[in-house]
Amino acid sequence: MLSIEEVEHELNIWGWPHDTWDLVVGSTTLSFNPKTLIMTWITMILVALFAIAATRSMNMRKPKGAQNILEMVWEFIRGLVNENMDPKKGLVLLPIIITYFIFILFANLIGLVPTLSSPTADYNTTFGLALCTFFLIYIFGIRYKGLGYFKHYLKPFVFFLPITIIEDLTKPITLTFRLYGNIYAGEILIAVLLGMLGGWLHVFGGFIASVAWLSFSIFIGCIQAFIFAMLSIVYVSQAVSEEH
Amino acid sequence: MLEFNATVLAQIVDFIILLIFLRLVAYKPLAKLLADRSEHIASNIAAAEQERQQAEQLKAGYEAEMRRSREQAQEIIQKATKAGEDQALEIIENSKKEAAKIKDAALAEIEREKQKAIAELRDQVASLSVLVAGKIIDKNMDDQIQRSLIDNFIKEAGELQ
Repeated sequence: MLSIEEVEHELNIWGWPHDTWDLVVGSTTLSFNPKTLIMTWITMILVALFAIAATRSMNMRKPKGAQNILEMVWEFIRGLVNENMDPKKGLVLLPIIITYFIFILFANLIGLVPTLSSPTADYNTTFGLALCTFFLIYIFGIRYKGLGYFKHYLKPFVFFLPITIIEDLTKPITLTFRLYGNIYAGEILIAVLLGMLGGWLHVFGGFIASVAWLSFSIFIGCIQAFIFAMLSIVYVSQAVSEEH
Repeated sequence: MLEFNATVLAQIVDFIILLIFLRLVAYKPLAKLLADRSEHIASNIAAAEQERQQAEQLKAGYEAEMRRSREQAQEIIQKATKAGEDQALEIIENSKKEAAKIKDAALAEIEREKQKAIAELRDQVASLSVLVAGKIIDKNMDDQIQRSLIDNFIKEAGELQ
């Protein structure tokens, strides 16, 4: 039985630095998690390659390969957006939600490759994405309702102000920790399995544990990407809907 | 315990970069493609509908024409039948008239022949009776009677001239 720290240390064949990258701007120090950032960039490159592959030779009559997948995702998300809000308003939101979905899906699945980890297993990433949704709620609310958007904090009574403020603040927090918790738990469980298996740790970066957990993690990864996209749609549609 | 750091900002920037990149590379052409496709399908459906309507119009036109020509044919047949019947009647009428004419002519001929025969018969009878009378008279005619007969004859002959 190895502890999780030991397993993580053993799996660190890429030599991820343990310390943060620090960037000093004036008097403040900005520190970054190198592993998260590098995995995010790898994910971004993969997403970009997928997008290029999907749109490189598009065919209107006979879609094939990646184009089909991208079209499927597009139609699926468009259906969700149009169900929840005015399609005209949703037109701007649609690319953002699709990017959420594809990015989070790729980020979740890349953690299944042995020795790599998901960018979404770091709460900084998920909080960043949740903040984007948080801003989107306000951007869309103000764009379609003007400053009158803020009136909904006082409804149905003025006394509801603290409750509605808390409600708004919980949105990004729940988004953050739902995604982070699910993905991080998956990685922890893989590490725990590896710790229990012990000797298998060095065989292809402990692929046995990943394989054992594969179907579950794929399922969780897809579901969480869907939930994040879906909740973002719902939150934004609440902000722009006429009846409040 | 939770230590948020500047990674949050980096991830937001990363996400925005990815969003812009995908918008440029993937979403624009894909949206255009999907719009093109739906337009293509819509125009195809519209064209099919139009063609169907045209076909229906053509069909209706052909059916009307067929009905009309059938009616015309019927009319022509009726006319022909009527004309034939008329002609037959006329022919019968004509032949009846002809027959009557022929019959009349035949009757007239017969009458004429009869008259001719009667006249001939009368002639014959007259000459025979003259002959017979001559034979009878030949023996017991005296001079006086002979004389008067000759006179009569001469007289008649004179009248004839």
